[in-house]
Amino acid sequence: MKRRSFNLGLASSLAAPALIGLGSSARAADGAKPTTIRIGFPGAGTSGRPLPTSGYTANVVFLGELEQEFKADNIKIEWKYYVGAGPALNEAFANGLLDFCFGHGDLPLIVGRSTGLKHKIIASSGRGGDVYLLTPAASQATQVADLKGKILSVQKGTATQLVLYRFLAKYGFTEPDKDFRIISQIADDRRASLATGDIAGTIDTPWGLEARGITKRLAEVHDDININAPGTVWVGEAFEQQYPDIVQRVVNRLVKVAHWSSQDANREQQYQWWTRSGTNAYLDNKKEWDRVKDLRTRHSPLLDDFYKAKIQKSIAETRQYRLTRRDTPFEGWLEPKYLNNALRELKLENYFPSQSVDGKFSG
Amino acid sequence: MAVSTDDPNIFPAAPSTQPASVVPSQIWPHAGKLLLSLINTILLGSILPLVLFGLWWVAADRHWIAEQILPPPAFVWESLKDVLQSGELLGHIKISASRVAWSLLIGGSAGLLLGFGMGLSRTFKAYVFPTFDVLAQLPVLGWIPLLIIFVGIEEPLKVTAVSIAVVVPVALSTLHGIANIPRPLLEVGRVYQFDTLQLITRIVLPATAPSLFTGLRQGVMQAWLSVVFVELLSSSEGLGFLMAYSRSLSQIDMVIVAMLAIGAVGILIELTLRLIESRLQGWRRNAF
Repeated sequence: MKRRSFNLGLASSLAAPALIGLGSSARAADGAKPTTIRIGFPGAGTSGRPLPTSGYTANVVFLGELEQEFKADNIKIEWKYYVGAGPALNEAFANGLLDFCFGHGDLPLIVGRSTGLKHKIIASSGRGGDVYLLTPAASQATQVADLKGKILSVQKGTATQLVLYRFLAKYGFTEPDKDFRIISQIADDRRASLATGDIAGTIDTPWGLEARGITKRLAEVHDDININAPGTVWVGEAFEQQYPDIVQRVVNRLVKVAHWSSQDANREQQYQWWTRSGTNAYLDNKKEWDRVKDLRTRHSPLLDDFYKAKIQKSIAETRQYRLTRRDTPFEGWLEPKYLNNALRELKLENYFPSQSVDGKFSG
Repeated sequence: MAVSTDDPNIFPAAPSTQPASVVPSQIWPHAGKLLLSLINTILLGSILPLVLFGLWWVAADRHWIAEQILPPPAFVWESLKDVLQSGELLGHIKISASRVAWSLLIGGSAGLLLGFGMGLSRTFKAYVFPTFDVLAQLPVLGWIPLLIIFVGIEEPLKVTAVSIAVVVPVALSTLHGIANIPRPLLEVGRVYQFDTLQLITRIVLPATAPSLFTGLRQGVMQAWLSVVFVELLSSSEGLGFLMAYSRSLSQIDMVIVAMLAIGAVGILIELTLRLIESRLQGWRRNAF
């Protein structure tokens, strides 16, 4: 009898762990309101505690705006960070573990839609940016052509891959995979490889690394509209159809934070918050963003002509570089009504300048 | 009482010589039985894969799992044809296979040397085994950060890491094989006054051959697992890279194609090992 009950206990304790996974990740709803809202960020920083890296969407986390908004409704906000960046976020969404994404790069966004993920774009998470091609400190290269045939590193599947391709195309290399050996590494491995000289070049923010004597800048490009594509805020279609009022309230807060972030008085605060993720040093944030005269040109949530043109250009590029095999339909993807409502309610219709297709700001 | 040589009860008939034309009729039933048993094995063996494949088909058809996580078999088949035609898959297979081959050579010889050394010499074992036992617990992934510092991120890293993965099972199996040589065999050797060379070639090697091959098999398995792992980081070609890259582009069908390629090559290696084993161990009689 003792052995039988022991065997039974052993067998059931082996089965128990399998049951643990069943309940936790599914959406729990309570009538017309969800009990949690799950928001994902690509990237988890390097500080030991996952935190977002930059942009006005990151400021939403630090300001605690969404927690404030939904406290009365007893809705918990779950922030999820993915070391695998955009691609890992796609996987999580495919498994039904996410409702929103605050800041998806163009490549993983397009790849996700081309494989059939159903989400709606409700705002842009920011645009512009500087691109620096870094080499190890001991490198003898003086121009991009010196790196031909050598090893470049980028986290494949993320928006930086397209940024690298466009950067190289600017310098005349239209077949980057043939002209260089491009390997895939996550950010920490990239920096370690730069330090040991195992790779010849990569794209990263330079000043923190330069201060430590690890790299030097080979080439740089500032706010080139042909190289950087805007980031995207999206919501899963299922969530949007079930709780449109929640989506509206989230977008309202997003626009409010975008407005707050674009004030010069709040620059310092943002730089310090962004440093907490550990990815960029305070020096990086300050040097790069101090050069931006009008923060509204970067912290812009608008889905204007520029945004639409850039996303469509990125779709064409993913086909050209054979990064997607199925077409990505652009129609029906954007859902600007939440953004427009938010701008109207907060009286910010003319606050953010909209950008035309050739990059000129107006209004 | 007269006995005649015609009496068959006393003088049974002598077996007459078989004419050559009778021989094929003895071979055909034998060959036929062999073929039938082969077909039987294949049929029985394929029941489980077919059931799993059917489950996959139904799951993809009814969307039990998201399409981005489990693509339908038809899609995987198309991608397989695509990538076979373009020669891309063969290229990746060649690179991964060459890495495994080098690692098997290096790691296998090192493992054999270590195993034989530790098995045959007590002092060597006393010095080396404790350290070896501790280091053997480390998974290959744990070695990689250290290896990157010493050998960089190129080919040497991949071959070194996979060799480490091969050394452990080969050395351990060889050691246990030698430890398990039945004492009576060694006593016979002493009776015949074998010198060391005769001892090794006539007693030790044949007796440890089964463990050796088990160790080699495990080494090959570990090599394949590790090569995929190691290629997931800092690589630009190979089957592991193909899996990682395809996953980052949400092309899970290519991931499955890479899995199928890995499985196919693994089976080839296993069959080769079995052939070699059967040639070298024909004298064994198995209990099962």
